[in-house]
Amino acid sequence: MAQQLTPMRWPSEWKDPAALRFLKDSSINCLIIEPGSELSAVREKAKSSQFTVLEPGVVPPGVKMIEGEWPGVRVSQSGEDGAGPTGIPWVDSNGWKIRLERSAHPGTAVWVDAKPKENARNFPGSYSISVADSGAYGGRWIVTLDKPVAQGIASGNAAALGAWKGIAASTSLFNAHPDWSSQTAVAVVGVISDFSGANESFSQELVNLLARAGQHDRIIRKDSFTPASFEGLRAIFYTDEETPSPALKSQILAFVERGGMLITGPKWAAARDSHPSFKSHPGFSVTAFGKGRIAKAVADLNDPYTLANDSVVLVSHRHDLVRFWNGGATASYCTRSHDGKHVVVHLLFYAFQGPDAASVRVAGHYRSARIVTVRTPERDVALKQQGDGVEIHLPHVPQYVALTLAV
Amino acid sequence: MESRRNWILRTASAVSGAYLAGGLPLRADAPTSPVSVASCKTYDPQELLPVMQKMFDQLGGLGRLVKGKTVAVKINLTGSPTYRVDHLPLEDTHYTHPAVISAAVHLMTKAGARRIRLLESPWSTADSVEEYILRANWEPRDILGAGTNVEFENTNFLGNGKKYARMNVPFGGYIFPGFDLNHSYQDCDVFVSIAKMKEHATAGITLSMKNCFGLTPATIYGSGAGIDEPSLVPKGGRSMVHAGDRQPSKSAPSEKDTTTPREDTYRVPRTVVDLCSARPIHLAIVEGIRTMTGGEGPWIREKLTGVAPGVIVAGLNPVTTDAVSMSVMGFDPMADRGVPPFERCDSTLKLAEEAGLGTRDLKRIEVIGAPIASVRFDFATIRKTRRANPEKMFGMRG
Repeated sequence: MAQQLTPMRWPSEWKDPAALRFLKDSSINCLIIEPGSELSAVREKAKSSQFTVLEPGVVPPGVKMIEGEWPGVRVSQSGEDGAGPTGIPWVDSNGWKIRLERSAHPGTAVWVDAKPKENARNFPGSYSISVADSGAYGGRWIVTLDKPVAQGIASGNAAALGAWKGIAASTSLFNAHPDWSSQTAVAVVGVISDFSGANESFSQELVNLLARAGQHDRIIRKDSFTPASFEGLRAIFYTDEETPSPALKSQILAFVERGGMLITGPKWAAARDSHPSFKSHPGFSVTAFGKGRIAKAVADLNDPYTLANDSVVLVSHRHDLVRFWNGGATASYCTRSHDGKHVVVHLLFYAFQGPDAASVRVAGHYRSARIVTVRTPERDVALKQQGDGVEIHLPHVPQYVALTLAV
Repeated sequence: MESRRNWILRTASAVSGAYLAGGLPLRADAPTSPVSVASCKTYDPQELLPVMQKMFDQLGGLGRLVKGKTVAVKINLTGSPTYRVDHLPLEDTHYTHPAVISAAVHLMTKAGARRIRLLESPWSTADSVEEYILRANWEPRDILGAGTNVEFENTNFLGNGKKYARMNVPFGGYIFPGFDLNHSYQDCDVFVSIAKMKEHATAGITLSMKNCFGLTPATIYGSGAGIDEPSLVPKGGRSMVHAGDRQPSKSAPSEKDTTTPREDTYRVPRTVVDLCSARPIHLAIVEGIRTMTGGEGPWIREKLTGVAPGVIVAGLNPVTTDAVSMSVMGFDPMADRGVPPFERCDSTLKLAEEAGLGTRDLKRIEVIGAPIASVRFDFATIRKTRRANPEKMFGMRG
């Protein structure tokens, strides 16, 4: 039940129950309405119209609520991008928080509470990207309008109605594909941690920053790992303060012996039979072990940003799962269907509008591809086979695209 | 009668002679050197290798240049590998094509090169060139495996060197009297520039000489360069060279005269000539099999089009090679500021000629192989038409 709810925070500006008509073409079916008599008519009408009505702060069973960021490129009112240390626009996304929460509470729905920034320029497309930034990772954004947009919708302002149309279409798109959120993440690296206590900050930031670096990671919790946790990965991170349990260490070393890479801190004890590797990195001592390598940081790991970016090169761009061209500020998330026959690639473009000539390469062998966006129904799109991957040339697309690739 | 080979060697050595003489020789004294031109329609090695082999033979043979030598090859990977012109691969528009790099590497190895270093200063990163080109969808092993003792080096920072190499400008320099560069530009016997045939928003055209703008490490000449000492890693572009808004790290030679115009259209052509004088080019290759019109990369806000001129130009003197390339592009290499493609900027070729690097006068340049007219691809007319009917730009680019 909780998985089927699409929540919205009812704007306090909408005092007339007739405003419920705006929700007609959306999949919003759960309203969070402020208490008080001013909105009692709205509350009653919503209940009688089969909406789930909640008071603020009430979280229904089967739902985990997380506080999120307003997703998108950080843009100040002066219009300047907030650039990261590499000059690449800094993208705020809630994908990593959703994935962490879902890994801690499998089977629960994750709602993201992220309000529009008051001192930022919120483009109409910002709302669509907010829906997609949660939906792509299996979460649901609590639809929250800022005052000008809520008032604009009520008064029939074209730009506000355009933003609303985008929200409605985006929520409907994700609700039409409930299977996506239960699929298995496809990843290149795994992050092993308990994600709590002394390790919480570093490990969680690492997951966040790996996504920003364009790397696809799998969250592997120490308390629930299995041999399958390592399947398909090129590398794993172990950066927790404590040494791993003998069982976990054995799994990690088995992974490396089979050809994987362990990226870890300087405290990791040298493995027997390891020897210097040819591949070097100024920040890491790399040794060969079995068919794989152990990359041990030379100095204490205290900067997850540097580690995330260094790791992309340590693992090598050769193993990039997704590459973008002309995408701008992007993110992607890949999941595999339970029968293994399809991979869904969620593509997110965080600028104020979608790209007009973006290309994307997805590693792996696929026979065909279908594309779906909020603007166009699902349809075939041409695939170009390219070595160990396929390349897809996107038409002019909005800020969210889902590609379904047939294996 | 003097053999072609002897004549080539004599005229090539005249380039360095002009440097040693000091001062700026008259245009008529600028050395000349033959230029080979060939039609080449594809990057298929079956077509490309024999074409390039023949071109090098026409220039006196690659063996005389590279046998037993360490060869440094500056390739052109301008801009981030995440930018494309529409959906076209980067190598089909603005990057030197890997097939041309591989063919050059293969032929140099065959001609006896001892070691081949492929050099570039990739945009704002200290990552290896191999990692950089993987993001462009290239396979580094294809290039590394084309010859023996082949390696890449990122020259945008100190790289594998222990210190930067001080390379002075023999004629004194227009903007800079010398440069601190990655060691690879000094630790070589032969220096080769493999460029893409393109227009350039700031310098009018970008050919074998302009390709050398990328010699400068961003750790010293970049917007994020250290003030006193070079930064450890490169960050940002070379805005200081473009705009003159600050000086290189104090450890490197500073500008000669900070009262000169702070305009990129003045500074970039002069800095390019300074670089080509400090680090002379022994072999210039301009690849125009497939390229683009409208500018040097996807970030240029003009109508950009992928085109297939199907031509390669090569020579032992970068000025004569660039002059012939300009003519192949439909431009007059004698053009001065105000005349296309130098509507807004100074001519790098004119400045290079005045500095004694080589002549741009086609009447003094022997063209070997395909006549220019037979391979001409008219960038000039496309430019004129494009600028007469500018297109409105829309959409987002990465």
